[in-house]
Amino acid sequence: MKLSKFWLMLVLSLSLMLILVACGGDDEDTSAPEDEPEQTDDGTEDDGDDTDADTDADDGDEGEEAGGPQQGGMITAGMYSAPGHQFNPIFYGDAYEANILDFTHESLVTLNENFEYVPSLARDWELNDDQTELTYYLEENVTWHDGTPFTADDVYFTYSSIADGEYVASGGVRIDYVRFLVGYEDYRDGETDTFEGVEVVDEHTVKFHFAEPNVTPEFRTSFPIIPAHVFEGLSVADMVDHPASRNAGEIIGTGPYQLTDMLEGEQYVLTAYDNYWKGSPKLDGITWRVIEQSVMPGMLERGELDMIAEPNGVPAADFERVDGLDNVTTFTTQDFGYQYIGIKHHHRTAEDVENGVVDPNNWVVNEKVQDVRVRQAMMYALDREGIVGGLMNGLGSVLHAPFPEASWAYDESAFTVYEQNVEKANELLDEAGYIDVTGDGYREDPDGNEWTLNLDYPTGNEVRERTAPIIVAEFGEVGIRVDMRQPRDAATHFEIVEDDNTDWDLYLAGWSLATGDPDPAGIWKSDNPFNYLRWNDSTSDELIELAVKAPDAFDLDFRAETYNEWTAYVTEQVPMVFLYSSDNIYAYNSALQDVTHRPTGIYTDSHLWWLDQE
Amino acid sequence: MHKYIIRRILQFIPMLFLITIVVFALAKAAPGDVLSGERLDPNIPAEVYDMRREALGLNDHITVQYWNWLSSVATGDLGTSMQYTGRSVAELINARVMNTVYLSLFALGVTLAFAIPIGIYSATRKYSLFDYGATTFAFLGLATPNFFAGLLAIYVFGFMLGWFPSQGTVSTVGLSGMELFLDKLKHLVLPGFTLGLASTASYMRYMRTEILEVKGSDFIRTAKAKGLSNHSVLYKHTLRNALLPIITLLGLEFGTLLSGAIITERVFSYPGLGQLFLTSVQNRDYPVIMAINLILAITILIGNLLADIFYAVVDPRIRYD
Repeated sequence: MKLSKFWLMLVLSLSLMLILVACGGDDEDTSAPEDEPEQTDDGTEDDGDDTDADTDADDGDEGEEAGGPQQGGMITAGMYSAPGHQFNPIFYGDAYEANILDFTHESLVTLNENFEYVPSLARDWELNDDQTELTYYLEENVTWHDGTPFTADDVYFTYSSIADGEYVASGGVRIDYVRFLVGYEDYRDGETDTFEGVEVVDEHTVKFHFAEPNVTPEFRTSFPIIPAHVFEGLSVADMVDHPASRNAGEIIGTGPYQLTDMLEGEQYVLTAYDNYWKGSPKLDGITWRVIEQSVMPGMLERGELDMIAEPNGVPAADFERVDGLDNVTTFTTQDFGYQYIGIKHHHRTAEDVENGVVDPNNWVVNEKVQDVRVRQAMMYALDREGIVGGLMNGLGSVLHAPFPEASWAYDESAFTVYEQNVEKANELLDEAGYIDVTGDGYREDPDGNEWTLNLDYPTGNEVRERTAPIIVAEFGEVGIRVDMRQPRDAATHFEIVEDDNTDWDLYLAGWSLATGDPDPAGIWKSDNPFNYLRWNDSTSDELIELAVKAPDAFDLDFRAETYNEWTAYVTEQVPMVFLYSSDNIYAYNSALQDVTHRPTGIYTDSHLWWLDQE
Repeated sequence: MHKYIIRRILQFIPMLFLITIVVFALAKAAPGDVLSGERLDPNIPAEVYDMRREALGLNDHITVQYWNWLSSVATGDLGTSMQYTGRSVAELINARVMNTVYLSLFALGVTLAFAIPIGIYSATRKYSLFDYGATTFAFLGLATPNFFAGLLAIYVFGFMLGWFPSQGTVSTVGLSGMELFLDKLKHLVLPGFTLGLASTASYMRYMRTEILEVKGSDFIRTAKAKGLSNHSVLYKHTLRNALLPIITLLGLEFGTLLSGAIITERVFSYPGLGQLFLTSVQNRDYPVIMAINLILAITILIGNLLADIFYAVVDPRIRYD
């Protein structure tokens, strides 16, 4: 008898579930509410440049007068992974956090479409002749999200926090923005209470003092500003965990939107900041949702999603489908990440690896790849266009130099552009003495010994994984025998790339192109730990140094010229085989208007975005 | 019985200790750490990463690291995440554990609600059309990868029919009360059924086999000979005995409840422990890996204990002393 009760319960609960489901079905489409903006502009506070837009904003009624931006509406944007909930710019760690911070915080200066610095929170600036002093004149009507005015004290506070002795131990990694300033060491070590590198001249003027003439002063001072009045009195170690670094509604910036609500791992709600200094945002807000990449196109199609942008965008495989949707606008631009075949010119000794020493003098030469003609032959052997066309549906470009194509440092006329030329590759190898003496179809080294290059690659990036066998085949065509080894998971692979007392010759990896400043020293200078190629070349080092050497390098043209010279040298020496940079594909609801398309993305002037609400 | 339980719980301690050592050693044996790999930003000087390693204690000897971890856990502090700057592990787990529990319970409910009745029905009508149909379904269910079933469910019920939301646990933030409950329930349907139906197949087969086995035993023949009705024989005698192995299975399943369903959580963007575990392993976030493993180990041990105790309650033949 008991059991019949059980059945009754089961049937009841199942039917209850069905009813719930049926009821729930219809309110589904209202997930993006666009009714009545919370607060219509009074029209008085503005100069009246958009008064016609304000008048039609009071009801859901269509704005009849076509054209003008309409007020109101929320959009839903998607990203594929959740941010790590560190919303303090000086501590943030991942690209997903950066995605939110792009809307909530601002810097003194920002990059324009040619990768030059233009005003943002600073309306103007002045450099002294030897580029040791940079004076910023700040915008005067900027307020923080809590209404407090933005002043020079906030700038001082931001930079002194990064210079603080507790900063790195608390999780910060961005000391590159302070270590060239006067008095950094003293302040870090607690020998003085004032950070001399940043001087507050008056409420709206701030002066940066560099210890030595600086070639990239704007870049070094382009860090997002955090509010002094919110964090005042806290130690830097306590800032990491402070609610104002963590909790929605308590994170204060100067940006057009404020993070007002969130649900861990799922939703992050940005609400328009009505007193934004460049003018109140047209949208009511942006809701970021964490979504699975494979359902993204379907959600865009159904209008459940209005935008997909940083950090991964639309995968190349989905481009055709997304681009074909009537209600979606797409924009593609070069991604700043690129892929390459690394060539291990030298290996470190086991001892150096053990002790973490990167000293070119101790390196062991990798004889297999020393002849420059061999490396050039590799370039000629590869059909890189084919990789971009075949593996990426053409949504990418062959990389020739480690600078973004839109950058002032990039000049295609300055260097050798390699295209596949099997004949040339064979010629070069013959010339270098690498000849097939055994008749097995593969070349032996000039001494007649077997010559096999090991290729190691990581999993995790599908296109990159698929390039490995292509490389093996195309190198094989010209007689270079490649031993393609089992792929490893990314963390393991890169650990070995770094600890390289191994038999590695070739490896696949990626770097990101420098966007803030093109100075390649970080990856290319011989003694830099990130010089994973272990390429030791004095000519390259000299050019890299020359390009940032004061006072010549104060002149942008001089730097551009030097970088052209350096790129020409690099393309001739082939220290690595540049493969491709993929395209960044952004997609957004076609009803969303006035989105700025820039090589750096589409987030510029997001306060101007507006939704055409027909 | 009490003595038995206490003895079992005391056995947990050395076992957990061993488990943590093994997991820690294995996790550390994998190359790389939270600061290596493609997370590197070339704009940040390499020495900063070294300073961070030093600060995180990653340069210490493995035994020192283990000891530091153990002594902080002993005081109830699960530590601080390495991939999420400055976030405590407890906070990360807290934010997700309930999602996982809801999903697992819902899926378990689905499994039982389908597996038991279908199993019984199949067994009582052995080799009928229904039985064959159910068997086919069972093997289809076993053979379908979770991510595929999940995507199919999203496509059909989420996109084509538009009945259920497909991503996340709620539609908007700021709901409360009944509204929130219903919204959460709606978001549970697709992942819950995907997960639940996948294990329905095996449970159903167990159920069917068990009933057939019990039906053939002597005491059932006796019951029938007594002149009991078919209904009474099936539900009072057969089912009760056939459910015993299912209880053992459930006890074992208890542990996997918390481990979440990595794939299913991912497809439905359902933020649970499974997703957290996956990213922690990828990023070599040891404190989180260790904490989740510890929780898992404890729940599995408790699950087994509960199964044993419950077994004794249900089956009068079993006595612990």
